[in-house]
Amino acid sequence: MSSVIWYLYEFGRKVWVKGFFNGKTSKEIMEKPDRFRDFPKVLKKNCIGCGACTSSCPSPNAIKLIRDMDDKDHHGITYPVINKGACIRCGFCAEICPSEPKTLECGENHFITEKFNIVPSKRKFIVDDFLCIVCGKCRDACNVNAIEEINNRFRVNEKKCVACGDCLKSCPVKGAMKGIFINNLEEQKTIIKLIVDRLESFIENKKEELDKLDNLSLVKIQYPLSELWDEIIAILPDEEVAYEVTENAINRLKIRVMTWNEDNCKLCKLCVDECPTGAITYNEEDNRVKHDKNKCLRCSYCYQTCPFGVVKYFVVKFLVENNEENNNDKDINEIVKNKVIGITIKTSPLSAYLSD
Amino acid sequence: MILPIGPIHPSLKEPLRLKLKTKGEKVLEAEIDYGYVHRGIEKIMEGKPWQKCIYLAERVCGICSYEHTQTFAETLEKISDVRAPLRAQFLRVITNELDRIQSHYLANSTFFKAIEHETLFMYMLSQREHIMDAIELLTGNRVNMGWNVIGGVRMDVKEIHLKQILEKLEAVEKNHDRYVGIFENGPIVGLRSKKVGRMTKEEALKGRAVGPIGRASGLKHDLREKHHTYCENLEFKPIWRKKGDNFARTMNRFNEIPQSIDLIRQAIENLPEGNIRSDVEIKSGYGEWRNEAPRGEVLYMVETNGNLIKQISIRTPSIMNIDSCAKYMLKDVATVTDAVATYATADPCIACAERVAILDMDKGYDTYKLL
Amino acid sequence: MFQSLKNIVRKSSIHVCIVNCGGCNGCDVELVALFSPRYDIEQYGIYIHNNPREADVLLITGAVTEQWIHNIKRVYSKVPEPKIVVCVGNCPISGDVFNQEGGTVHAPVSNFIPVAAEISGCPPRPSEILNAILSTGPGAISNRGRERK
Repeated sequence: MSSVIWYLYEFGRKVWVKGFFNGKTSKEIMEKPDRFRDFPKVLKKNCIGCGACTSSCPSPNAIKLIRDMDDKDHHGITYPVINKGACIRCGFCAEICPSEPKTLECGENHFITEKFNIVPSKRKFIVDDFLCIVCGKCRDACNVNAIEEINNRFRVNEKKCVACGDCLKSCPVKGAMKGIFINNLEEQKTIIKLIVDRLESFIENKKEELDKLDNLSLVKIQYPLSELWDEIIAILPDEEVAYEVTENAINRLKIRVMTWNEDNCKLCKLCVDECPTGAITYNEEDNRVKHDKNKCLRCSYCYQTCPFGVVKYFVVKFLVENNEENNNDKDINEIVKNKVIGITIKTSPLSAYLSD
Repeated sequence: MILPIGPIHPSLKEPLRLKLKTKGEKVLEAEIDYGYVHRGIEKIMEGKPWQKCIYLAERVCGICSYEHTQTFAETLEKISDVRAPLRAQFLRVITNELDRIQSHYLANSTFFKAIEHETLFMYMLSQREHIMDAIELLTGNRVNMGWNVIGGVRMDVKEIHLKQILEKLEAVEKNHDRYVGIFENGPIVGLRSKKVGRMTKEEALKGRAVGPIGRASGLKHDLREKHHTYCENLEFKPIWRKKGDNFARTMNRFNEIPQSIDLIRQAIENLPEGNIRSDVEIKSGYGEWRNEAPRGEVLYMVETNGNLIKQISIRTPSIMNIDSCAKYMLKDVATVTDAVATYATADPCIACAERVAILDMDKGYDTYKLL
Repeated sequence: MFQSLKNIVRKSSIHVCIVNCGGCNGCDVELVALFSPRYDIEQYGIYIHNNPREADVLLITGAVTEQWIHNIKRVYSKVPEPKIVVCVGNCPISGDVFNQEGGTVHAPVSNFIPVAAEISGCPPRPSEILNAILSTGPGAISNRGRERK
């Protein structure tokens, strides 16, 4: 009996009756607390277009920088756009946004102090003290004051740097400010090795031209970059990184090429004892002196020793050049089609001393 | 007869295939097929800066997501020889224990769903909502909290948050004992849970069961005892039971909830003033760290290269627990329905478990098996 | 007349099956939270059964992993008409954080089966899921039924 009365009491309550007939969830549960991190709110006009948000986002495809169309009076403004289908609502973009006031707002994350902001980026900026002329242009160009002067030398503060690349553009000395890719180091090594191997074999095939070279003249030949490009992309799929690594590697590359002309060899075997790595061997069965290219250091001892001119020694430099002038393509694949590797070959400066 | 259950099945929350070898209703043996949620998360982390990896570590598992970030952060702190400031350590304890409470409530509610006790199932979930509110209030999200960073925590708490958390805990505590009483003294629930799915201490040792599952079988193993924050500042004693059946496992989880509430109270009372985050320069090197997640021991092995993660390997408790469940608990269970209930008490979290791929090099790539 | 009666019935009783095709479990936990007395999804006539054969709505969570490429189509074909698919969370929509170098996921799920509605968030709050399901679910179901006739 008591339970029946209890049931009547329970079901007679106003809240229960209301809930039973309305059948609606109470409004309170839809409310979100202050700290709730919703999708980031974008305030377009504060954006400085540095790209810190895109490089810091843990989710690919979540955030993109876009630029409005230019009109007559103004340049179009740049601002980030959030893709709601991929944003994980971590609020990290709001946390690291360097603009003042912040472009992105998310929960309470944009109140986090600037002191700890470290932007993960695929590029790391380093000042080369040897080349830097301490002009201070990079410091002026930096939007976030990441470049500091310590003891009359410039340093990039990694904790402030947003990797926008403005310092690189403003630097008047080529190579004084370096943007290095810190990921995919193994792939970068493989690319450089591939380039060196290819160019070396290409030059050695041009034996006839090399034989004609005397001490003063140069040979200039060209090699299209697009022949290498497919293999490079297969190693490192990120086109932007791959192109920059390739270009830097080729521009800095300086290799020594040796040619081995066996017809002149009189089997004096002087070079066999001189070679420090044992790359040159005398084979009794064939009665020949052999040169193993894979062991060779290109140290030029054999070149200095040989009295008959079997070995020839060249220094080769490279530069990435435009094939046709005035190309304004933006797609990297298009740019690569128009690029050639200019190869400059001259005889080693040693030859001047030797001939004297 | 072999009876397959899953990967989509009314009583499983996650995809996994349970193969039961039965004779009549009796289960003789059980086998488990993994591999439905392998995403390759360790491989994704390689070569990325820790700022991104800490969000990825969170997504190893959705239920115990907090413990993964804490362990990841503490591993990197160990590599670079620093400790988070004391206030940050206490805040980590608070969030960690809140996460543990909600996970235990969820685990028990799945057990009650498996034995068709809808009332307790609903009670558990409504208790859990209070805790979820507290977590959301503190960190800003209900599941993936994004709360930890290397060298501390992201945001400070205010007085008002702590007050609200204590209120929520009181709301939980008010009904907790009554619900435990319903389970402990209910005759029919007892029939479904006592002496079902037993695992002895030796078997638990052999199967390397950890966490509440191991503790219910008599292994007094709780890594919180050895953690520096707990042993230096807080009073803590692991809870364990001897029987090792479904009842013991569920009760062990129930009893750990007031203990966690007590730990949160201690932490809030003794919460020191100071910084919540210190500036850490991460060194290159290799480090290991273990922590007690709601389901047991989590192990992170990380090799760093400055700011970047070179290599990472994660061991989660679920893989051992599911394995010992299949080998020892499901053996000789009286009915198939009990087998499902036993599986639910082992608190499986498959998203945790699957990160490894095993390749059979002799047979080629086609025969690979994901774990 | 008969058709409109059918629509009313379809709108007021929706059976749901949750399919986790390889996510972090967070969205599933939030869907379980929808059962709770606080959100109480059953008061709107939505029942979660986890059985594809009696479902009207497939709730998909998780980026599609290797094993699910064929299975997701099989599960979809077993659901009786009219049926709709709703993606919960970011994983089925875009692959979330897993859809990058090193990951073994085949998102989005719309490559394999037609998707009617999407709920973004990682994970979405239960209130957001509830909101989205109530605003799209019943209408879409009855529309789908009319299409077939």
